[in-house]
Amino acid sequence: MGTPQLTGGYLFDIQGFSIHDGPGCRTLIFLKGCPMRCEWCSNPEGIRPFSEPLYNPSKCTMDLLCKEACPYEAITVADQSLLINRDICRTCSTNACMDACFTGAIRKAGYFITMADLFKKIQRDRQYWGANGGITLTGGEPFLQPDFAKAILKKCFESFIHTSVETCGNIPWGNISQSLDWLDWIFFDLKHINPVKHKKATGTTNNNVLKNARVLAEKFPGRLIFRIPLIPGFNDDENSLSELAEFILSTGKEEVNIIPAHHMGREKYNLLGQSYYTKEFKIPSADDLFKASQYFTKAGITCYLGSDTPF
Amino acid sequence: METPLQTGYEAISYYGHKPSSNIENREEKRLASPRASAAKELYFEAKSSVSIEFPYWYTRRWEELEGEIPIVRRGESLKAGFEHLTPVIYPGELLVMGKAGYLRGSYPMPWLSEAFFMAAEDKLYQEALNSGKLTADTFTTVGKGGGNVTGSSGNVISLAGKFGLRVEELPVLLEVAKKWYGKSVDDVGHRYEQLVPGYSEKEALMRSVICMFDSGYTLPQGREVINFYYPLQYGIDGIIRICEEGISDTAGYPDMDRIYFYTGVISMLKGIRSWISNYAEEANFLASIEKDEKQKNEYLDIAERLEWISTKPPRTFHDALQVIWIFHVAVLNEDAISGLSPGRIGQILYPYWKRDMEKGIIDRERTLELLECMRIKFTEIDCFASMGVVGGVLSGNTFNNLCIGGLKKDGTQAANELEMLILESGITCDTPQPTLSLLYDEKLPEEFLLKGVECTKIGTGYPAWVNNQVAMEFLLNNYGHEGMQIEEARAWAIGGCLETSPGSWMPLNLDGKIHWIPGGSAPATSVGVHFLSLPKLLEVVLFDGMDMRSGQRIFPSHGFDLKTYDELWKAFQTYFHRAVHVLTLTNNIQHDAWRKISPSLVNSMLKPDCLERGKDIGQMGSRYNTTFNVESCGTANLVNSLASLKKNVFDEKNFSLKDYQSAILANFGYKTAQETGSYSLLDQVATADYQNWKKIHKFSLEAPKFGNDDSYVDSIMAQWENWFCTMTHEFRSLYDQPLYACQISVSTHGPMGAVTLASPDGRLAGTTFSDGSMSASPGTDRNGPYALFESASCWNHSLSQNSQMNIKIHPSVVKGREGSRKFLELIRSYMRKGGFHVQFNIVDSRMLKQAQEEPEKYRSLLVRVAGFTQYWVELGKQIQDEVISRTEYEEL
Repeated sequence: MGTPQLTGGYLFDIQGFSIHDGPGCRTLIFLKGCPMRCEWCSNPEGIRPFSEPLYNPSKCTMDLLCKEACPYEAITVADQSLLINRDICRTCSTNACMDACFTGAIRKAGYFITMADLFKKIQRDRQYWGANGGITLTGGEPFLQPDFAKAILKKCFESFIHTSVETCGNIPWGNISQSLDWLDWIFFDLKHINPVKHKKATGTTNNNVLKNARVLAEKFPGRLIFRIPLIPGFNDDENSLSELAEFILSTGKEEVNIIPAHHMGREKYNLLGQSYYTKEFKIPSADDLFKASQYFTKAGITCYLGSDTPF
Repeated sequence: METPLQTGYEAISYYGHKPSSNIENREEKRLASPRASAAKELYFEAKSSVSIEFPYWYTRRWEELEGEIPIVRRGESLKAGFEHLTPVIYPGELLVMGKAGYLRGSYPMPWLSEAFFMAAEDKLYQEALNSGKLTADTFTTVGKGGGNVTGSSGNVISLAGKFGLRVEELPVLLEVAKKWYGKSVDDVGHRYEQLVPGYSEKEALMRSVICMFDSGYTLPQGREVINFYYPLQYGIDGIIRICEEGISDTAGYPDMDRIYFYTGVISMLKGIRSWISNYAEEANFLASIEKDEKQKNEYLDIAERLEWISTKPPRTFHDALQVIWIFHVAVLNEDAISGLSPGRIGQILYPYWKRDMEKGIIDRERTLELLECMRIKFTEIDCFASMGVVGGVLSGNTFNNLCIGGLKKDGTQAANELEMLILESGITCDTPQPTLSLLYDEKLPEEFLLKGVECTKIGTGYPAWVNNQVAMEFLLNNYGHEGMQIEEARAWAIGGCLETSPGSWMPLNLDGKIHWIPGGSAPATSVGVHFLSLPKLLEVVLFDGMDMRSGQRIFPSHGFDLKTYDELWKAFQTYFHRAVHVLTLTNNIQHDAWRKISPSLVNSMLKPDCLERGKDIGQMGSRYNTTFNVESCGTANLVNSLASLKKNVFDEKNFSLKDYQSAILANFGYKTAQETGSYSLLDQVATADYQNWKKIHKFSLEAPKFGNDDSYVDSIMAQWENWFCTMTHEFRSLYDQPLYACQISVSTHGPMGAVTLASPDGRLAGTTFSDGSMSASPGTDRNGPYALFESASCWNHSLSQNSQMNIKIHPSVVKGREGSRKFLELIRSYMRKGGFHVQFNIVDSRMLKQAQEEPEKYRSLLVRVAGFTQYWVELGKQIQDEVISRTEYEEL
């Protein structure tokens, strides 16, 4: 018999006092790793399922101490800046480069946390949520770490904590189903009904997403709210929105939360050594949002705009 | 080589998403009545101005009465001052009268201290400078904008960097000041405090700004709650009758000392009566020349009201509000006072208001208009003091704290409809004064709390949220030996910015029905040891008694070799104890000089049970007297510095103490804040030398920081608090009562930071300390409000008179109805965990940055500093920078 494996998983953040992701004040737990590659993603550091360096060239003094410290020679110099071979970092378990850095130019996205440590933080935060609060697993895609997700949800549910999850839906049904008994609330993201367009903008088709949505709508006894990121030029046209509304109606569910696209995650791409995914898109105005909402309200679906939610 | 700060600090510290590029405005607010709006505009035009009418007539009468019994002489001098104040009434005013003839008028009180308004070249000023008493002034910046008169021009000269004085009054001012040379509270106290053994240490503490201010002559009264019962119940003539009866009852008997107090009060009250009558006469005159019928009637109404209340108790809500305002100003005119709080006037005035509402002689709209006018009047209050006191402690603020909520005498909740309107007037008429404090109790109705949230959300920083139960526990612990019981503990309110002050219930008889109204019942708090700089004291520990900035010795060697953390802690305790000891004794002497030379008459007359006992507050006439305290500043920097040393020197041995000494002297290779002109850790500039220190600086910055739920550092906080709050009880005040801890920074974290070298937590030389006592050091709280709350509740807040927590939240976070409800949950959760106080700046930090660059566009922008709300443009740069650098909690 080997040593028992520690229950735990990879996170890239925990944030207290979230007020838009479920009823009451909540603690958001960001699980690392996502099957989709959405062009508008505002948490790109949550995409890869392992920890990785964030490098900020504007803070770098090029003293190359990190380069000297790296045991795997993953850092080279190119064009007055550092080039980090992130494929090497993937298997690195040291923090040598960031420990050597004096300026905070290299930081780490993602860390392993044990269930015990995480639950300690949740226990702390629950003192401050007040009425109706709880936790929301988000990411990344929480169900990419199905056992960890289930462990958190079960532990919380059994401790009388309200549990919620935000999922992209593009995962095997089994990853979701094993957690259902421990969930009070689900935000289920829908991006587009057209599989071709969906694939182009997110890197994956939506077969799984739509299938899971249907099954979930039928089987999940808690509250299921669809979430649609409104991306101008992608899904803000009449056709796209009507199809989305139609789909939601067909599941028998009646609530949707439209989230306007924003640029708040833009700077993180640089830190990850990536270029910003998408061509420029404009941020939807209040008017655009209202117009979009009409497709749903007309269909009899209750529509919440942005953070203006009744919970 | 110059590179910008490379510390890992963002240009602005955020928690959560970095906000989008548009500056987010505060949530829409409702507008004030046209009358109040006009008054506010007038206020914005007005400059802080001093007149010398009062000090001239006061001093003249004082001289005439040479040889008279001091308290009688004092009463007569106050009378002379009051009856010679020129009445000025502004069109549209519903409440009239003020400290002096100017809209933002005040005057120096040379009987307290004459040195500070002498010209710089004056010999007296030089003497004061040499003795170290004025060093704090040298390191203080006053806000450059708004109503501050920072430079002389034309016929106006600038005093203390803030006040304008007409040039022709200057010779009179200097002449009056000279009369007090050697006789003022300052001078007499100074003469005798030198008798304290170890006095030279006190001078060294002041000169190095380890202690910010003397107590006895700077602001000898304030940080307390006024009591309006006697003038409301008896009227001026009624109180005079009480005094006359007191005289006939005691004249010639062994306790006849009382007759001098009563005589003094009678003189003073006659002065106030004349002062009111003069205003009535002025109102009548204005009516006689006024063409506008409506305005004419308003003047006549004012005249009639003033004539009535110059002798008799008030008849209506409007009368009573005017009485409250008059006596508030009257107290302010007897001493240099900041932090005189009207207290729970929504509950005091409620019986009058309810009766008027039932009779139909007032409605909500008119009430709101009156309350708005009251806000403007309170905002007009200025306090003349030296630049160090005005800028360094007060930031020009006068801390007239109005409390709402709490409990009634019988233990039921005390909020009422009038308090809802007080909150509404705080929304419609956003001004710094009176600042509001909501005495949070679980029994308060949800509707009232949400109204408080709505007001907090407009971004003015008030109401501050203060824990009723924690305060009561503190009061019972510290005033129990004077007989306080739980019923009376409920009568408390905040005096000044955040000083828990005892109160009493008084039986207001209206139409034969008794209404128990709360009011202050003790003299000034925040007297005693005025602001000890904790990080600076640690610096002196590290250099074994030396102030390395000035090269002077403060204390003899502490005798510890600092081989262990425990020894470091003991050495710190030793020096702290030593400082409190000498400062308590010297300040007791100053206060003794104060009570002998300048005894309080107005405030004493108001405070129960001075009239019954026939004693002023300096003779312990008031019901409770345990009000002296020891104030601290820079708590988070001290605790973070101790944690950094514990980890890096003692636990992990990454560096030696010697390394830290060198790094501190080298300022971690950075320019000082004075050189860069920026007083937060943002925008600091490294020198070439930085390479030598970057490792120790990194380790220092990365050491555990308070506010992140890290038990390594939180346990140090708990150790400090438990010790500090207990050790203060060893010391006795002038009134032979134990001292307690008071943990507010007001604005002292600016100038005190300015004279402190770099600290082991990575803070750079000259930068402003963290504010308050439970606020995290700016930019170091990286785990959100829940982790901050958890850290702050690592000790029992009722051990201390207060503890202070400031949080900056981006307006988008608490937007809308749900935002309000969830914001309340956040506040409530901290209160439930025993947090004593929390207050908020709901503002986009980039708006503050912009306001620093273009102050003219932000004349009305209000921000919360440490226990008070102030116009941004009237704050000094040290404090502005600190507010900008506070971690901003973003939308998640």
